[in-house]
Amino acid sequence: MTGGKGFARLIAVVAALAAFYVFIYLPVAVLVLFSFHAGTVPVPPFEGPTLEWYAEVLGNGRVTDGIFNSILVGALSSLLAAGLGFLAAYGMARHSPPGSTVIQAAIMMPLTMSYLVIGLGLLILFSSLGFGKSLWLVGIGHVVINLPLCFAIIVSQLGGHQAALERAARDLGASEFQVIARVTVPLIWPALFAAFCLAFTFSWDEFVIAFLLTSFDVTLPVVIWSMLRTGLNPETNAAGTLVFLVSLAVAVAFELAISRRKGTSP
Amino acid sequence: MTTFTAIPARYRALALFTGTTAIAAVLAMAPASAEEINALVWCDHTDDALLEPFTKATGIEVNVKDYEGTGTALTLVDQSQPGDWDVFVVDSTDVKRVVDRGLLAPVDPGLIDMSAIPDAVKAEDLHMVDGKWYAFPEKFGYNAIAYNRDKVSEADMRKAASMWDPKFKGEVAIYDYYLPIISQIAVGLGMNTADFTADDIPAVREKLFEMKKNAKLVSDVVTSQTALATGEVDILVGGGEYAVASLMAEQPELDWVLPAEGGVRWQQAIGVFADSEKKDAAGKFVAYILSPEGQARLATSSCYWGMPANMSAALTDAEKKSLRWDEQPAFIKGSQRYISPSEDLDTKLQDLWTEFLQQ
Amino acid sequence: MMTPASAETRARRADLRRGYGFVAPALVWTAAFFALPIAITAVWSLFTRSGRTRDTSLSLANYERFFATPGFLSALVNSLEVAAIVTVVSVLLAYPLAWLIAFRVPARWQRLALILAILPFWTSYIVRSYAWLLVLAPNGVVNQALMATGLVAEPVSIAYSRTATVIGFVHFFTMLAALTIYASLVQINPRLLQAAGDLGASAVQTFWRVTLPLSASGVAVGAFLTFLITIGDYITPQILGGNTDVVLPQLILFQITRRGDIPFAAAMSLVLMVVISVVYILAARRLRMRT
Repeated sequence: MTGGKGFARLIAVVAALAAFYVFIYLPVAVLVLFSFHAGTVPVPPFEGPTLEWYAEVLGNGRVTDGIFNSILVGALSSLLAAGLGFLAAYGMARHSPPGSTVIQAAIMMPLTMSYLVIGLGLLILFSSLGFGKSLWLVGIGHVVINLPLCFAIIVSQLGGHQAALERAARDLGASEFQVIARVTVPLIWPALFAAFCLAFTFSWDEFVIAFLLTSFDVTLPVVIWSMLRTGLNPETNAAGTLVFLVSLAVAVAFELAISRRKGTSP
Repeated sequence: MTTFTAIPARYRALALFTGTTAIAAVLAMAPASAEEINALVWCDHTDDALLEPFTKATGIEVNVKDYEGTGTALTLVDQSQPGDWDVFVVDSTDVKRVVDRGLLAPVDPGLIDMSAIPDAVKAEDLHMVDGKWYAFPEKFGYNAIAYNRDKVSEADMRKAASMWDPKFKGEVAIYDYYLPIISQIAVGLGMNTADFTADDIPAVREKLFEMKKNAKLVSDVVTSQTALATGEVDILVGGGEYAVASLMAEQPELDWVLPAEGGVRWQQAIGVFADSEKKDAAGKFVAYILSPEGQARLATSSCYWGMPANMSAALTDAEKKSLRWDEQPAFIKGSQRYISPSEDLDTKLQDLWTEFLQQ
Repeated sequence: MMTPASAETRARRADLRRGYGFVAPALVWTAAFFALPIAITAVWSLFTRSGRTRDTSLSLANYERFFATPGFLSALVNSLEVAAIVTVVSVLLAYPLAWLIAFRVPARWQRLALILAILPFWTSYIVRSYAWLLVLAPNGVVNQALMATGLVAEPVSIAYSRTATVIGFVHFFTMLAALTIYASLVQINPRLLQAAGDLGASAVQTFWRVTLPLSASGVAVGAFLTFLITIGDYITPQILGGNTDVVLPQLILFQITRRGDIPFAAAMSLVLMVVISVVYILAARRLRMRT
């Protein structure tokens, strides 16, 4: 292969990748750019920059309440999803009860259904039981959609080398609860944390279930949706940019958890 | 393996942090000591600038849930428990229908200054049932034609038939709310909205579907505004001051007119829910909204502008100019109210709208 | 005295009980808040709404209404068309992207390249759709670029159309599918590719005979997720589609929020569920992704 050909090939690869990245980053760039737009109407051409809309959005009680509610729902539902997912994964991996494939399929089922179908089902269930709409119901729904993901992540990490350590602990007289608390959980912390982070980002950005199951106290995506329907200004862009930053932080934490695990496995 | 033991501590710290945040959050959710009322409103009642002065003055917190269109509001009420809601902002033309459902309690006209409200807006026939007030008019405006003056002529926009004229194909946005648009077509066809019956549906339907052929989009307030502002469309059917008043400062070419055949006047009213357990606090909020300060803040809300019902609203001259304060007598004369449908007619109109969206 | 055999059986039984005990909470949660709600949705779809009241006698009236009204049926057709187009286009774009990262980017840069490719995944889903409106506007970036290059003289009208909806979806799912496809590409043993070359296969032949078949599971998972989320999504078509080519989720939410006709919404939601299930069953064989 001649150097010229290799170089041409390199250029082609870089150009192709660049084209993809432009496509992928186009809306994000425009979104962030117009969050600094000085006019009240976020349409081209761009004027500015100004930080006015960030001040506005952080001073907006509905947005800050929404952020707070989203963190609350996200944290609690993801903890529960990761917890239930862990228990199920542990049970499957260590006790392998008969009918494993059926059980696994049952746990994974919500992953194959639209959030809309799940949300409407919960709306009907709770309204026929006479429960009022609330953030708790949203949390329940988010556990439903995130449980399969957490289960899948954790079950793939419950490998044989932990089993050996667990057996050793049991042989030394530890009860099963002690084994889980002292051996299993510390060993697979990164997987649990990764599952939690992933579940959190899904909950944080989930709209339709939250929209159907809340009334006054709503999560951030519902606030953003109503901002979008009720006022044309770059505040929406600023809110979107802030959401991006928060999700990014969680995603980076997730990434670190994954790479730590990789880096430390023998 | 040894590095494993180093990691958990860090994650434990993170988990601990998350856990404490969560617990703090739960504690914060515990009912606050302040009195709270829940209001079901159009989006113009959701600004902090409107609600905070009231909370400061009275100590009453106002939780708001915004909706678009009476059908949505009634669905929300149907899906809630009795006593969930205290204050209801609803289209004046739907007050009777809502009272028939037993949703509203009578309100005391002594709470507000009735003399400051023009007669056409006061519309006792809409707001009173059996001699009792059930809701007070609070804000009004027009569903007419908003347009881009640089692209289409005012003379054309003054003709109702332009709404379905094929020469504007692809340049039209339609506001996605069945009552004003159907009313507007009825007025454009020379009908009287007060006498509208199911028999008039076929004629309206024909024009509605012709209009859909021209339409680039059928959408909510903000999407339609965006389309006008970006130049995606030149005409917004159903638009009025609520759609363009807040844009005019930056885009003076955007304007609105009432067609010569007449336009449609929207009117909102505010009342108290019959099941409310906090009628006193709710009454205070109603009085605040109808006060000159409340009216000024409501008229210039970030969601949409509109004329205050109370003529003594504390607005600046510039704001009055944007609202076309001085032209109101002529506008009121040149406009009709929404069709005020019975439950049965409402179902038919909504079915028509569903079909229209599917065209 | 217990015989050793029975002690073993007992231990095994206790083990089983424990196993089910660990799995039970997740199963109960899924049964109570996933299976039960769907069963109730199915029952409610047989009710009808007349005026303000709900008629709880069972009938297929909602389904008859859905399939007999061209307007409703066309929403289902729109949904299927949009989902199919989005799935095909997303995979066609995602595959080369994943392939470039997996085989043409040096190993130590791969992780970064991949993370960069999926970073915008974490912007708010709603706001991202809305950002596309600004990108596609007559005076937006795309039109300005087209006009600057002289490709068009007048701004092209893209926003508020099915094309806009498809673009918004494809953007999101190119990222997602690239991730699943990349995951299956990096698992291909490089020796297999080398062996194909040694046996005289051209690069193109190696790709069609070895690389593509071995990455089929990643393609299938990406395609299924794309289809699933696209066909059930309300936000993107509502923001970008301009209410002109209404899809099924829009109709469902329309019934829930404006009409309060939950039984009819339930029936349409069940139609959606059946469509998804059929596609799932068709795709199921390919969906087992090796991790």
